[in-house]
Amino acid sequence: MSEQVATMASSMPAWAFLVPFAAGVLAFFGRWLGARLTQFLAVAAPLIVTLLGLEMARRVVDGAVLTGWGNELRVDGLSVLLVLTIGIVGTLTALYSVRYVKQPGLLTRVGAAAAQRLPTFYGLFLWFIATMVWGCVTNNIVMLYVAVEATTLTSGLLVAFHWDKRALEAGYKYLMILTIGITFALFGCVLTYAAAAATNRLTGGQALLISEVRGVAHLIPPATALIAVAFLVVGFGTKAGIAPFHPWLPDAHAEAPTPISVLLSAVMIKMAVYALARTVSIFYPRWPTLAVFVVALGVFTMVLGIVMALAQDDLKRLLAYSSVSQIGYVVVGIGLGTYLGCYGGLFHLLNHALIKALLFMCVGALTYATGTRRISELSGMRDRMPITSACFVIGTLAIAGLPPFNGFLSKLTIYLALAQAGMWWALAIAIAAGLLTMVVLLRVARTVFWGHAPATAVAAREVPATMWGPMVVLAVACVVLGVFPRLTFPLLDRAANVLATLGR
Amino acid sequence: MSTAGLNGGLIQTLSMVVVITSVVAVEVRRLRFAAMAYSAQALLIVGLLASFAAVNPSLYWWAAVALITKAVLTPWFLFRFIGHGEDREIKPLIGFGPSVVVAALLMTGFYRFTHGHVALFAPTTLAQEGVFRTNLAVASTVFVLGLYCVLTRRDATKTVIGLCLLENGVHLSLVSLAPELPETTLFGVATEVVVTVFLLLYVIAGVRKEFGTTDTFALRELQR
Repeated sequence: MSEQVATMASSMPAWAFLVPFAAGVLAFFGRWLGARLTQFLAVAAPLIVTLLGLEMARRVVDGAVLTGWGNELRVDGLSVLLVLTIGIVGTLTALYSVRYVKQPGLLTRVGAAAAQRLPTFYGLFLWFIATMVWGCVTNNIVMLYVAVEATTLTSGLLVAFHWDKRALEAGYKYLMILTIGITFALFGCVLTYAAAAATNRLTGGQALLISEVRGVAHLIPPATALIAVAFLVVGFGTKAGIAPFHPWLPDAHAEAPTPISVLLSAVMIKMAVYALARTVSIFYPRWPTLAVFVVALGVFTMVLGIVMALAQDDLKRLLAYSSVSQIGYVVVGIGLGTYLGCYGGLFHLLNHALIKALLFMCVGALTYATGTRRISELSGMRDRMPITSACFVIGTLAIAGLPPFNGFLSKLTIYLALAQAGMWWALAIAIAAGLLTMVVLLRVARTVFWGHAPATAVAAREVPATMWGPMVVLAVACVVLGVFPRLTFPLLDRAANVLATLGR
Repeated sequence: MSTAGLNGGLIQTLSMVVVITSVVAVEVRRLRFAAMAYSAQALLIVGLLASFAAVNPSLYWWAAVALITKAVLTPWFLFRFIGHGEDREIKPLIGFGPSVVVAALLMTGFYRFTHGHVALFAPTTLAQEGVFRTNLAVASTVFVLGLYCVLTRRDATKTVIGLCLLENGVHLSLVSLAPELPETTLFGVATEVVVTVFLLLYVIAGVRKEFGTTDTFALRELQR
């Protein structure tokens, strides 16, 4: 367990989201800047977020909590873990997108003037990253709602970017369902604030600060707390893709351009889980039975997600349903509220971000090379796209939870945490869902990469280096974190300590 | 802050009319009239906020923001959008007669329930008193009517109006639950709603062009 933390004023939390926001403003003027400079901005800004995240992580691991703008911004172990994940995945995705967006038909409809829409694409891309980072560093419970809704607004047009029937349908559902859901979260946030202010223990705007509300949560009337939690779970749970609030997710993840699918699946739903954990965990110490409810919700999500994935022929939809399932594991781990559970949940959050970014990039590479993402139309790609094949198989084995990959250790930690908590029913279901995940994804890998290549795939070639480079980095990370899990221990330990409130 | 100094009669009247405008916005089949009902509700909310501002001057700021975002910009977007398409709403899941009955039952039932059990939503004693109690009951009733609208209407334009009602319900509750919310936070919340409505209508305009309708039941491409 960690020692006491010291609060330290810093401008880094603010820069972490102001840099991509400013870069986004510049990117909107891409017609004057040119495509190269716009794309440079798209790579550089998240890279700066990553570097700031690394420096903030160093200080947090040394025992500090960084604050900015008074106490409006606050970065502890949990926040910095998310900032780093967003920065790393954002940088690799931006790099991946450099060639991807230039392939006709992948960013916009065939025949549409894709080059003219690049500034809008990258401007929104950078604002999307900025709003996600903002949500992870704000300490204001109402601004957390504002930031989460802002991520929906910045990504809504990106989901519909193709502007054809399928994309528009996905974009409409995405904006509508998430906005309805997040309105529930607003009420939950406001009720939490009002209840904290009513305790008369906090002065001025202190009742808005999540770090302060935690200290008075035990004084909030039980009925009010229950209603607030219910609204927060519906609101942020919808955004996180937790069943039964998940119907928007497969449509949006499948129809968005692949770089956006990567961000949605790898980081955006994690940021929503962060918002859920940050707010609901406030109530955990006083009402530990909440853990059973949240774990049950997580178990339901993991089972439903992987069962739905079974029937998919579209690779992106299959991966999207798999994301629903995997977010169930994260929710189960964090929902337990114990140190081991939170550690496992957050480790899986990080691992799933890397694995799912890798898998979506591989599917994007297949689409880039063959023009299709249907499993039934793909076969024998191993010889034509060896790097993509190797990366996809590594991602598959990692998400299936096989050693020596990162997914194995995080899932194992969650299983151990469930056993420690005596939730054997949840453990049995989680293991069964894990086996089903292995079957579903290994079957896909075998179908797509082995067997005889159809005529349509004969001309397919490996994707350019700027596309397979990020994929290789992610694949290596999946192996390295599986073999050397202590690399991330100091940061995950800090992050888990922020959330772990039960069983200590 | 206390209830002394508030014009209770005016606030009660405005609150009741807010609920009625919600029912009209949900039930009327002409989209232009529904948008008008929404606009009237927005103005009433501005009036309510200004009335409450007698005991909490910071609400004047909130009233000004609501005037611009809810009573000017949002109706402008709605009328512009409706002006380019069919004015009659796509037939909803529930027919007019039964729907009016359901809305009336929701209105009276939910209002009575929340007014009677306001302590569930109101952690402060002030929020449980007089006009603040009424405000919370009205806010939750508008919220439920908005939810009813988005769940039962097939027309995408009408679901946007339902979403606006949903948001109005939550924003109204801020008067009783969070009267001292800082201006920056209020501004963030208010701006978000306008941008949401704008983006949704922008995407629905694309849907109307590609699908030839705003019927959400026609959105079946992703099931193929």
